[in-house]
Amino acid sequence: MAFEKDMSVAQERASKIKLFAHDIHGVLTTNTVFCDVEGNRRYAFWHMDGFGDLSLMANDIKPVFLDSTSMDGEGLFRAKELKLDKMYFAVTDKLAKLEELKKEFGLTDEQIGYIGCELTDIPVMKKVGFAVAVADAIPEVKEIAHYITKAPGGRGPIREICEVILRAMGKWDEWVEKVTKMGYK
Amino acid sequence: MGMAEAIEKAKKVKFVIFDIHGILTDNTLFYTQEGVKSEAYSLHDKLGLKALMDSGIGVSFLTSKVARDVEQMAKVYGMPADMLWGSSAKMGRLDEFEKATGYTDADICYVGDEMIDLGIMKRSHFSVAPSDGSPEARAIADLVTNAGGGKGVARELAEFILKAQGKWDAFVAQFK
Repeated sequence: MAFEKDMSVAQERASKIKLFAHDIHGVLTTNTVFCDVEGNRRYAFWHMDGFGDLSLMANDIKPVFLDSTSMDGEGLFRAKELKLDKMYFAVTDKLAKLEELKKEFGLTDEQIGYIGCELTDIPVMKKVGFAVAVADAIPEVKEIAHYITKAPGGRGPIREICEVILRAMGKWDEWVEKVTKMGYK
Repeated sequence: MGMAEAIEKAKKVKFVIFDIHGILTDNTLFYTQEGVKSEAYSLHDKLGLKALMDSGIGVSFLTSKVARDVEQMAKVYGMPADMLWGSSAKMGRLDEFEKATGYTDADICYVGDEMIDLGIMKRSHFSVAPSDGSPEARAIADLVTNAGGGKGVARELAEFILKAQGKWDAFVAQFK
């Protein structure tokens, strides 16, 4: 099913956010669990999504992991690598967690973005200012999203959405220039 | 950038620097529940890297941090340990290398895929991006490979450079 989204509405909403929360499985991962005979479980993340989060942080937007289905430490290890300081795993009530975050950072719903893929993401996505679905999200999630990434889960949706957000804020070109000059200590 | 121009540039290459993530890997990061990370590389690249090194063209890997999986894959690829460069200041690391060896930017081919690579791609004589690299990297690259990251970029580039330099047939001859 194709869902047409109004890009100008998405840009307007994206331009206001200060905090961007990510679901983990199906968004940061492909939703695949590789399980070997020893019981080792392996999850596939995307290297360049890290650059997406780094880009958000460098432009004063706070990335947060807000996950409902973690079984292991997979999200924790990734969050540590990205040096995120806000992460919540196996959250049963994402809406309550969202309220906590709003209070802690003094933010309104309009200042919060969220990217999800499943039924569990719907209550939060209905509330936040900028709701994003990955390309392979379920139809119900795509329907309520303000923007649908071209990338499916675990294949770069955060790298993609960071560009959408920073372009909406008019910060992208400056950021590209800054990154191009990086590389000398 | 036209193909003829890319071939001209490839003729002068003496040293190839590969970014790792998104070039030698397909960008996927696997994590186990214990936090052990692994990545998806291509065995096609083994022959490409060998072809370059056997033909007298230097090769290094440049990434912000050399993880243990990179060290393991370097063994598989037959890369010398001192050619694994971990530095978040990529251009600073290239300066260091050029100072120590006498190579200049005119000898260097750099393969990168992301915004962080733009600066070093611009100063390298011959810059290359994979087909699934970022639009910014592909826009400034002298050559965009048909292969996507982790799907034989080094194999394809090695053949391109060695053919441009007239060294490919000599390398292939040993297999006939």
